[in-house]
Amino acid sequence: MSPLEEVARLRHEALERISTADSLASLKEFRVQYLGRKGRLTAILKGLKDLPVEQRKQVGAEANKCRVQLEHDFDAAERKFSEKSEAPLIDPTLPGTAQRVGAMHLTTQVIEEMCGIFYGMGFEIARGPDIETDYYNFSALNFPPDHPARDMQDTFFVEGDRLLRTHTTPVQIRELEKQKPPIKIITPGKCFRNEAISSRAHVAFHQVDGFLIDEGVTMADLKGCLVAFCKAFFGEGLKLKFRPSYFPFTEPSAEVDIQCFLCGGDGCTVCKRTGWLEILGCGMIDPAVLEMTGHDPEKYTGYAFGIGVERPAMLKYRIDDIRLFFNNDLRFLRQFV
Amino acid sequence: MKVSYKWLKELTGLDWSPDEMGDRLTLSGASCEYIESTARYMDNVVVGQVIELGAIEGADKIQKAVVDDGTGRVDVVCGAPNVAAQQKIAFARIGARLVGDFLIKKVKIRGIESFGMICSERELGMSDDHSGIIVLDDDAPVGTLLVEHLDYDDFMLTFELTPNRPDSMSAIGIARDLAALASVKLRRPQIDLTEVATPASDSVKVSIDDPEACPRYAARIIKNVKIAPSPWWVRRRLLACGVRPVSNVVDITNLVMLECGHPLHAFDLDRFGSDEVVVRRAHDREKFSTLDGQEHILDEQVLLITNGKSGVAAGGVMGGLNSEVENDTTNLLLEAAYFNPSVIRKSRRKLETVSESSSRFEKGADPNGIKYAINRAAQLMHELCGGEVQAGIVDCYPKRIEPRTIELRPARCNAVLGSNYSTERMKQILTDLELQVSGDDPLEVTAPTFRPDLEREIDLIEEVVRIEGFDSIKDSVTNIGPLFSRTLPEDQFAREARWVLTACGFDEMLDHGLGSSRVAKLFNPDLPQVRILNPVSEELDIMRNSLVPSALAAVSHNLAHRVLDLRLFELGKVYFAGSDDTDWREPERLALAVSGNTPQGWRETARPLDFHDLTGALQRLVEHFRWPDFDFVPDKVWFLDDRISFRIESEERAVGWAGLIAPDQARALGVKQPVLVAEIDLDGLIDTRKDRIQFEPLAVYPAAPRDLAVLVDVAVPAGEIIECVRQAAGKLAESVEVFDLYTGKQIEKGRKSIALSINYRSQSGSLSTEQVEEIQRRVVSKLEQQFNAEIRDK
Ligand SMILES: [Zn+2]
Repeated sequence: MSPLEEVARLRHEALERISTADSLASLKEFRVQYLGRKGRLTAILKGLKDLPVEQRKQVGAEANKCRVQLEHDFDAAERKFSEKSEAPLIDPTLPGTAQRVGAMHLTTQVIEEMCGIFYGMGFEIARGPDIETDYYNFSALNFPPDHPARDMQDTFFVEGDRLLRTHTTPVQIRELEKQKPPIKIITPGKCFRNEAISSRAHVAFHQVDGFLIDEGVTMADLKGCLVAFCKAFFGEGLKLKFRPSYFPFTEPSAEVDIQCFLCGGDGCTVCKRTGWLEILGCGMIDPAVLEMTGHDPEKYTGYAFGIGVERPAMLKYRIDDIRLFFNNDLRFLRQFV
Repeated sequence: MKVSYKWLKELTGLDWSPDEMGDRLTLSGASCEYIESTARYMDNVVVGQVIELGAIEGADKIQKAVVDDGTGRVDVVCGAPNVAAQQKIAFARIGARLVGDFLIKKVKIRGIESFGMICSERELGMSDDHSGIIVLDDDAPVGTLLVEHLDYDDFMLTFELTPNRPDSMSAIGIARDLAALASVKLRRPQIDLTEVATPASDSVKVSIDDPEACPRYAARIIKNVKIAPSPWWVRRRLLACGVRPVSNVVDITNLVMLECGHPLHAFDLDRFGSDEVVVRRAHDREKFSTLDGQEHILDEQVLLITNGKSGVAAGGVMGGLNSEVENDTTNLLLEAAYFNPSVIRKSRRKLETVSESSSRFEKGADPNGIKYAINRAAQLMHELCGGEVQAGIVDCYPKRIEPRTIELRPARCNAVLGSNYSTERMKQILTDLELQVSGDDPLEVTAPTFRPDLEREIDLIEEVVRIEGFDSIKDSVTNIGPLFSRTLPEDQFAREARWVLTACGFDEMLDHGLGSSRVAKLFNPDLPQVRILNPVSEELDIMRNSLVPSALAAVSHNLAHRVLDLRLFELGKVYFAGSDDTDWREPERLALAVSGNTPQGWRETARPLDFHDLTGALQRLVEHFRWPDFDFVPDKVWFLDDRISFRIESEERAVGWAGLIAPDQARALGVKQPVLVAEIDLDGLIDTRKDRIQFEPLAVYPAAPRDLAVLVDVAVPAGEIIECVRQAAGKLAESVEVFDLYTGKQIEKGRKSIALSINYRSQSGSLSTEQVEEIQRRVVSKLEQQFNAEIRDK
């Protein structure tokens, strides 16, 4: 065997041992075997001087290259073993020590999400008082005095001839009194219904109402807007169903059902086996409302819609008790941090 | 409202399935909520015959019956009072599943094995009648399925109707929509009335005192009726509409109302008390007993049908006890009237009752549908009760109510809807809805009086789209409206305040805004309250005038559920009444509440949350919104503990309060651990962040940090010491922070050590060590002078 072949074979053998060594001790032993003072590679290097000059140069270069590589590989392999055996510097499974961040109320989050979607479509937010007059809550919205339509909403009456608004639609009237079309507004806020508190009903709830008034606004625009909203809020690919309904302040009026996103429309307990969930009311603003606020209903048309906040949130997060939205139970609130 | 599916089929000739009918009607405005099979509890129920009855020893309420169910004889235990031998009965075999998911199994009662059940109407889901078992006709074939024998395989469709559509409160009304949806003709029952020669006008006169309240009153006289149960087809139809059969006369008035929507009332003519009907307003404090046995004291809100002297019916709401049809009644006065909807509404409110009749009149009946209704009922009373119908209707109709004519511009219809309907299609829809249409542009549309909701062009546009369906309108795909949407300053403020406070570890609360007058008084006895006139409970009888009670309620709720460490905030309104239309106020406020401890971690030690945790969060807001610093001025606040009770001021204006909840108030809400609260009125603070951040050039020259520990009397506020340092050092003190506070063993009693870290820096050049020493000396001497301070170490 030529000295060159011997170096090549030794390197091969040594690398094999490095890769298969099962302990730090055996690695150290191998290192001594090859690179120690009496090691095999050392022996070759020591024997160089006995070789002819031509060969000495060639073998010397190869043997040195081999020594550098083996030292490097032994170092790396030993490092691997020592890392395993020594105590770790840190335990990454311990909880991090950053400050605890508080949770925004779920209602706030849902309102922000809804308003964000409408904001992206060019709607602007307007607000109004919670304690309203009959005029803004009913009369100006085309509820005839002493009419069964008023029974649709159980109203809290307040001293001083006031009431707690039953929807945020009064803000529509207040804005119509202030502005000229085009008007494109959403009115998020708190509303009240005189109902016994239960898991299904509460004295208060939140609503995001919206409306657009301009020349040439059509029911097709209303449908397009709500389809876009539902896509953004509930997810894409869900069908909507527009059912004729009745609200004094819109005509034609519709209720919108969305295909149940829990069962995909097959029917489940949440959608009461219908495959559909009732989510909002809408319609074209009644000409009487425009007229009452001094806008020419021949020139302008508009649409309006009203979306509850708690109900869609209950559906989305499968919350089964509306009281959780109002009792500030941290076990509930912290789930939405 | 409930309607029989078979009835709708009969009226339209359509062969749609119940589901298809329900779905199509829902999509055209009559929302079909449920569809139930009338025979859903009749599987395994057959015609049976009681062969013999025997007593059971030791039991007097139940008997043993031997029943032939067509396949053989079985023993059955029966407790019905009306069971008798030879009767044909409804027999539930083993395996039948009755109302309430009640499965019929073999059972042993008093030692007798029972192989089935003899059923009442309630058990079969036919009605709520459980007074006895159903007794079938003698010729009922034993062993036949009951549903076949009774021809009872129908469906009950339950509709949720909107208040603007009184026309749909009947089988014909619903069928009219169906006919329009399918473009078929409505098949109204034909009336073929047989009258006797005697004119009804000989028997009764009608006069109306208040034609505004009662524009029309019609009466017929029917003699010699025989009160009996209705024939099965009438009872079956009523049952399939969810109405309990009573007797033929009452059933017929109900049936006709269900059919055409017009309420009728039958009086016992012999108990009527006179031969004249006078419609008038009730007198103040006039007494009247309705047929449900209630005695009412009336006022003139109530429209009364009288016999000229006293009341016989509360018009349109309920008949009177005195003239009610009884089993021995033979002669009838049949009433079909039209009442003003708002009169009925006030009247039924006064009487505190709602009837099928009042709910129809209140929404608007058809003044011109009276003739059909009264003739149809008279015809049935002749056919089914053997009554002799006297000739003619005694019809008092002082002021005819005419149908309305409305113009519809086809182009306008499409412009509002964004649709593309042809004029022909619009005409057809309106005609199918039984409106009269002529002309082309505009269409001249006459709406019959059964459609009081159709008054304007937009109402007709709605009719078109409701029948054509919203699906026929393409969803628009482009956005319209303004390009730019502003953000309200208060919204931006609230958003940022929430970021800051949640980042400080505070969780957001949200309250409904209603409160208790009792609690509010305990917290702020002098603060006005806005009262709710019809509260749901005493605990929610005002609109809140402070956020503190609701914050404390939230604390209490969480403590009760063993969540003990709380940092909470709320952004919400409080409410104050005004004296006129403009000065009602709903100021926005911020409340903070802390209680319990800071979080305990593996590295951090928990410590009690205290006043400084409140002010810390407030200072973060001050910093964020660039408000002037808040001053905490000791003050007596009603609901706060005297020891920790402060008024918060911003530039000498009171903006809120902060401190420890006093024991009485804490106890009232069941809170047993210390709670610290702050409440800030945000009015005036939301606007103060107009000038946003202005960039300051980065410092060019180095800073010279120095620490300084001073001993002062415990009463000296840290804020004053800092202020003193700032004054002494002038602009050169870039920042002054407290980094340690110590009282204890190594310090003289009554004194405290405050350690300050001061950063000196000049904008005009590097400060030399001598210059810094010089300033520091000035600071020290000022502190010594002002506070009798000692410098602890160099
Ligand atoms: Zn579902």
